[in-house]
Amino acid sequence: MSGLLATTSLLRRDPRLLKVPPYLSFLCIVIGVAWLLLLPLDDYSRGTYISENALLPGQVHTYFAGSDQNVFRGYKHEVDALGERSNVEVNDKLGELFKASGLKVARQKYEYKSAGETYEGENIYAILHAPRGDATEAIVLVGAWRNVDGVLNRSGVALVLTLARYFKRWSLWSKDIIFLVTADSRAGPQAWVDAYHDTHQSPAIESLSVKSGALQGAVVIDYPFDHRFESLHIVYDGINGQLPNLDLLNTVVAIASGQMGIGASLQQMWQHTDSYQDRLKTMLRGMLNQGLGHASGPHSSFIPYHVDAITLQPYGEGWQDEMAMGRVIESTFRSLNNLLEHLHQSFFFYLLMQANRFVSIGTYLPSAMLVACNFTIMAIFLWVKSGAPLPPKTTVGSTTQSDEKAPPLAVIQEGDAKAIVPEETLAVRERELFLPLAVVAGSQFLGVLPLYLFNHTSAPMFPAIFTLFTAFNTIAPPLLSHLLTTTFHPTAQQYSLIKSFSLLILGLFLSSLATLNFSLAFLVGLFSAPLTYMQPLPNRPIIAGILALLLTALAPTTVLFAGAQYWGLGIGEVLKEAAFGWDVWGMNTQVVVWCVWWPAWLTGMVSLWGRPREEVES
Amino acid sequence: MSIDRRKATIFGAAAAVRILLFTAFPGLPDLLTARVEVSTPVTSFKRLQEGLFLYNHNVSPYDGGVYHQAPILLPLFSLLPSSAAYPAFTYLLYILVDLLSANALMKIAESGEAGSSKLYTSPRKDKKWSSYAIAAAFLFNPFTIATCIGRPTSVFTTCAIILAISKAVIGSSYASMFALSIASYLSMYPLLLFPPLVLLCYDRRPKSSQSTSIYTSVLLNLLAVSGFIPFLLYMSSLITGSWEFLESTYGVQLLLPDLTPNVGLWWYFFIEMFDSFRSFFLGVFWIHLSSYVFGLTIRVRRQPLIVLTVLLGIFAIFKPYPSISDTSLFLALLPLYRHVFPLMRYSFLASSTILYATLLGPAFYYLWIYAGSGNANFFYAITLVWSLGLSLLVADILFAVLRDELEIERPEMKGKEIRQI
Repeated sequence: MSGLLATTSLLRRDPRLLKVPPYLSFLCIVIGVAWLLLLPLDDYSRGTYISENALLPGQVHTYFAGSDQNVFRGYKHEVDALGERSNVEVNDKLGELFKASGLKVARQKYEYKSAGETYEGENIYAILHAPRGDATEAIVLVGAWRNVDGVLNRSGVALVLTLARYFKRWSLWSKDIIFLVTADSRAGPQAWVDAYHDTHQSPAIESLSVKSGALQGAVVIDYPFDHRFESLHIVYDGINGQLPNLDLLNTVVAIASGQMGIGASLQQMWQHTDSYQDRLKTMLRGMLNQGLGHASGPHSSFIPYHVDAITLQPYGEGWQDEMAMGRVIESTFRSLNNLLEHLHQSFFFYLLMQANRFVSIGTYLPSAMLVACNFTIMAIFLWVKSGAPLPPKTTVGSTTQSDEKAPPLAVIQEGDAKAIVPEETLAVRERELFLPLAVVAGSQFLGVLPLYLFNHTSAPMFPAIFTLFTAFNTIAPPLLSHLLTTTFHPTAQQYSLIKSFSLLILGLFLSSLATLNFSLAFLVGLFSAPLTYMQPLPNRPIIAGILALLLTALAPTTVLFAGAQYWGLGIGEVLKEAAFGWDVWGMNTQVVVWCVWWPAWLTGMVSLWGRPREEVES
Repeated sequence: MSIDRRKATIFGAAAAVRILLFTAFPGLPDLLTARVEVSTPVTSFKRLQEGLFLYNHNVSPYDGGVYHQAPILLPLFSLLPSSAAYPAFTYLLYILVDLLSANALMKIAESGEAGSSKLYTSPRKDKKWSSYAIAAAFLFNPFTIATCIGRPTSVFTTCAIILAISKAVIGSSYASMFALSIASYLSMYPLLLFPPLVLLCYDRRPKSSQSTSIYTSVLLNLLAVSGFIPFLLYMSSLITGSWEFLESTYGVQLLLPDLTPNVGLWWYFFIEMFDSFRSFFLGVFWIHLSSYVFGLTIRVRRQPLIVLTVLLGIFAIFKPYPSISDTSLFLALLPLYRHVFPLMRYSFLASSTILYATLLGPAFYYLWIYAGSGNANFFYAITLVWSLGLSLLVADILFAVLRDELEIERPEMKGKEIRQI
C-alpha cells in the first residue's frame, strides 16, 4: 500500500500521464454519445413487461357497448351545442349531466398570472364513491374542455360523461373515481391537482369543496374529432422530465393492442417500422420532451405529485370507434381498480423507443454521467496542472518543450529500489485561489439576471428583451475579459483555475441533474462539451476567433433561437411558454439553462479571450 | 478606526445578506427549517415551536414526545414575541448569535494560537489569513447562512463552543468552562471537548498564575464544570417543574429513539438493526465517538486548538444527530490553519466530494420522499459520501499539522515524500 502511494505520487507528476486527461475527457464524450446511439439496438433495449401482477391487464371482459353508444351520441350533441359558450355556462350544463348520473359534483375557479397575462377558468369534477371502498383511494378520468392545441375536445368530454354514467352502474369499484373536466389543458389541471393536495395559492385558486382519497392514477382523454380512428397515441412526459411508472403505460398498451387490437404509438411517431432509425427517433424525441421539462398534456401536472398519469389521443383514419376507446378506458380502470398499493414495481426512469421497447436507467445513465464526467476529469487535471512548478519557458498552448539545463535531482527510495527524479516533479506550487473563486462565483451569480428577466417581464416585451440580452451576451465576454486582464492581470495558473472551478461546478450540477432529469443533463452536457477545451490563446488570434464563433453558435441564446426557428415558433412564444411553465407548472428548466449552463459558457468565453500575465518564478 | 470599519463592513454585509434572504424570500426560512440537512430532532426550530406552545399553555413541553431540546430555550424564546406573528425578532436573534460567533472567532484568529501555541511554533506561521478573512469565511459560508435561515437551536451551541475557545485562548479559564458548560448543557456532546480545552486554558494561563501546576489547573476546571452544569440542570428543573427533561433531551441523544433521517451515519444503521443488538451498538457508537478525544489530546499535546478543530470535524461526522450546522462550525475553525494548507494532499478531492454530496443530497432526498422514484438507500448513500468527504478533510488537516511538526523535529525530511508504516 505504502509503495503504491509513493508510486502514485510519482505518477501524478509524470509528464506522459499529464497529457492523457484531455484525450480521456474527449473519449468520455465520444463514448457517452456512442452509448446513447447503441441503446435502440436489440441487445441493449428490452421489451416492456408488466411488473405489478395485480394489474392483470386485459383479463376482464368489457361491457361498454350497445346502448351506451346512443348515450354517447346524446352527450356529444350536448357538447356540440355548448360549443363556444362561456366556461360557466358549460359547467352549468356539465354539472347537470353529472348530477343526472347520480354523482356528487363540485367546481373550482382558478386564476394564474404569468408574463403579464391572466389565465383563468373553472374546473368541474364529479366523484363516484366506490361501492366497495372506503374513499381512501381514487382514480381520475380527465377530459379537458379544450385540448393542448386549444381545440374543443368534443368526443373526449362526451366519452367522460358517458363513462361516468356507465361506471356508476357497476358495483365492482373499490376505488373512488373522479371525473374531471378542466377548462383548458395547461392551467386547469395544475390548479385542480394543486388544490387537491392543498398546495395552491389560496385566493387566486379556489380550494376544492369535495375531495376523495389519495390519487392512484389518472387517465386523460384527448379526442377532439368525430370520425373513427386508427391507433392510440400515448403521451407520458411529466413536468421537469418526471415520468409515470412504466406499468401504467404497459397496461394501456397491453389492453389496447392485446385486447382491443388498437395499435399504440409514442412521441408523434405516426409510422413506426420497428427499424433502428425509428426507434432512435422515438427515443430522441422523448429525450427532447423530457429535457424541455414542459407539460405535454393535462396528465403532466399530476406526475409531480407522484400520481401516475398519461394522456390517450386517438389519431388517424381507421375503423376503431369511440366505443373501442371507451372499452380501453374501462379495461384500464378495471386494472387500476385491482391495485393493492401505489404503482411502484416497475421503472420510473426509462427511455421508450417504441410502445413495447425501453431501456432502464441502469443502461442509459452512464452516457450522461460520462458526459458530465468529462468536465470533472478536466477540472481535476487542471487543478493538478496548476500546482505543477513553472516550466523554464512559459509558452501557453504549446506542448513540446526542451529543457536546456538539467533540473536539480532528488532521490526517491522505495524498499531497496532507488530512483532519481527531477526535484521539481515533487514540489507543489502554491495556488492563488481567490481570484478564480471570485470570477466563477461572480458568473454564477450573474445567471440570476437572465433568469429574473425572462420570468418577470410581460410577454410583449420578450422579443425586445431577448434581442438586448443576445447583444449583451455577444459583447460581454470580450469586455469582461478585458476588464479582468487590465484590473487583475491573472496569471496562466489563475486562468486554468478559473476553468477548473467552472468545469467542476458544471460537472457537479450535471451529474446531480442526471439523476433527476437525464435528458436535460445530457443535452446541456453535449452543448457545453467544447467548454472543456477552451483556454486563453493570446498568441493565436485567428484560432481564438474561430473558437469564439463556435462557442457563440453553441451559446444558450443561439440554441434557444435556433430551436424556436426549427419549430417555427416566435422567440416571444417560446419565452412566454417558459415563463408560463415557471409560474404555473413549477418548471425549472430555466434554472438549469441560466444558472448552470450560461455561467459555464460565460466563463469559458471569458477565459478564451483571456491574456495571461507572464509569470516569474519567485 | 479603519480597522473597525473593515469589521463593521463584514458584519454589516453578513447581517444584510441574512436580512435580505429572510425578507426577499419569505418562504425560505420555513423551507430550510423543514430540511433534514439543517434541522435534526434535537435542534429543529419547528419542534421548538411545539415545545414553546406546550410550555406557554402550562403543559410539560416534553409531554408530546416531539421536543428534545434544553429547557432554558423555552423561557428565552417566550420572552420574544411569537415567531409566527413577528418573525423579525427571531431573525434578529439568530443573526446576532452568528455575529457573536464571528466576533469570538476573530479573537481566536487574532491570538495567533493556530500558528504558534505555547509549546510549538510552526515555521509557516506567517502565512495566515487575517481575522477578517476568517470571520468572512465563516459568515459567508453557505452552510452557516443556511443554518441561520433554518433557525435550528444548534447555533447557540456553536456560539457557546466558539466563545469557550475564544475565552480559553486569552487564558480566562473559568469563563471558558462556563461557556463549555452551556454548550454541553444545550447539546451534551461538547462535554467531550473538555480535555483539549482545559489544556488550551492551561497553556494560555495568565502571567499571574504561571506557577499553577497542570494537575491543579485541570482539577479546578473540572470542579468548575461540575459546578456549572448541575447548576444549569437544577435551574432547568425549576423551569419545567420536574426532572423529566433529562430523559427527553440527553436520553434522546444517548439512546437515539428518533430515527428521522439526517446527514449522519446513525439513523440508517439503527433502522436496520435488530432490537437485541441495539444497546450494544449504541455503546459501540458512543465509545467510538469519544475514543478520539484522549488519543488526539495526547498525540497533538503541543497544539490543543487543532485537537479542538479536528474533534469538531469528527463530531460533525459521527455524532448521533449531525447537521450542516456542525459542519459549518468545523469549517469556521479550519481557515485558522491556512499555514498548513499547502501540506494537505486531498484538499481538492475532499472539497469536490463535499460539493457533490451537497448537491446530490437534496436531489436524492427529493427522489426518495417527493418523487417516490428513489428510496432511502439513495439518501443514505449520499450521506456516506458526505461523511467520506468530511473524513478526508479531517484526516488531511491532521496529516498536514503532523507533517508540519515533523519538519521541525527532522529538518532533513522537509519536502520529502512521507510514507505510512
